[in-house]
Amino acid sequence: MLLMFMQEGARATIDDALSFALEAATPYVKAGFTVREDYWGGDLGVKQQKAIVHQLFKGNEYWFWMGTDAENAKISVHVYDSDGNLAEVESWQKQHFSAARVVPKRTGSYYLIVEIEKSDQERTHWALAYGFR
Amino acid sequence: MQSDFRCVGLMKRIILSLFLLAPGVILASDPPQHIDVSKLPGQATVVDNVIVPVPSEVFGVLDKLGSPNWHEVLRTAKANPTGERAQVALLLGSVIAEGFIAVEAQEGEEVKKIGRSVLNLAAAVGVRKSVTARSNAIIEAADKKDWESVRKELDGALQDVKQAMIELHDEQLAQLVSLGGWLRGTEALTAVVMKNYSNDAAELLHQPTLLEYFQRRVDGLDSRLKSNVLVAKIQKRLPEIKPLIGGTGGDISAKSVEQIHDIMQDLVKRINSREK
Repeated sequence: MLLMFMQEGARATIDDALSFALEAATPYVKAGFTVREDYWGGDLGVKQQKAIVHQLFKGNEYWFWMGTDAENAKISVHVYDSDGNLAEVESWQKQHFSAARVVPKRTGSYYLIVEIEKSDQERTHWALAYGFR
Repeated sequence: MQSDFRCVGLMKRIILSLFLLAPGVILASDPPQHIDVSKLPGQATVVDNVIVPVPSEVFGVLDKLGSPNWHEVLRTAKANPTGERAQVALLLGSVIAEGFIAVEAQEGEEVKKIGRSVLNLAAAVGVRKSVTARSNAIIEAADKKDWESVRKELDGALQDVKQAMIELHDEQLAQLVSLGGWLRGTEALTAVVMKNYSNDAAELLHQPTLLEYFQRRVDGLDSRLKSNVLVAKIQKRLPEIKPLIGGTGGDISAKSVEQIHDIMQDLVKRINSREK
């Protein structure tokens, strides 16, 4: 979705970031999660955040997988409900990856907060994919 | 048999646990337990980039809540390209949504027809090439009754069509594809909930983000598209839904579900009709 605003060079690195996000998703696909073909992506400076509003449905279980192609970056994704309460039941971080799992207590809007916590690049490309079951 | 399933579930948990315990994996640093959502920095918000859930995301929950009769919801009418490009784009989205319903009903022949319709409709708006492989994959997977693959290919077809439209500088048409899918998906959802009402099932209609997103998109269409009679009708009727989908924590009554259904049914009929 964001890609139309970006030049080819930027697109290539977001695609790289996406490939990391999808790599993080692989074990969960085997566990029955359906990964969406659509995704979010962009670039951020260190300590910068993006908030994404997303619809979740009670009765589903969701994983959000964030990836980056930046070698030494530390990235994070966390999920909050519409009242601003932390909604994830677990999360983890690893080089190139971050992920959070949500079992929504209510159907409605949720906030996905993505952040570049640490990076040696001025702008760090990221992509966020999600899956449900 | 049941214990076998339990074993598979246990194995999956073990595999996932091993992945999480792999070198370099750490539990994420403690995030704040609460944020003030009214004070999110303006620049940080990317609300415009809303990912519209695929119908199977909602249908899967309905399946968990009961056993809906998807055959009753499935519409078998042939979808022909009709009207202006705006209508064809809306129809394309609704036909892809129909594909998800056909998968729920496990109607292989219908899925194949839908795969071919997707191709015809995509051709009518100049993006046939982008979706040929997906259309073939839908038909092939339907032949094998590989429903999970059909779902994946339908989602992929949706993204490929939209991306091709964006590349042709037809981004607004791509938005109409999403809108058509959402309208048909929501119509199907209301039909199922009306048959067997429960608070949990009705709550699936609480979709304020998506409703606001589509209202914003339709309001922002260029005047040429907005002057289309069908688009104008959609623009007029979308605000009627807002008071019906419930506030935070509010139940959505059976009457509201029925009213949403009437609006959606009216719009989807118009999308499929030669008359406006």
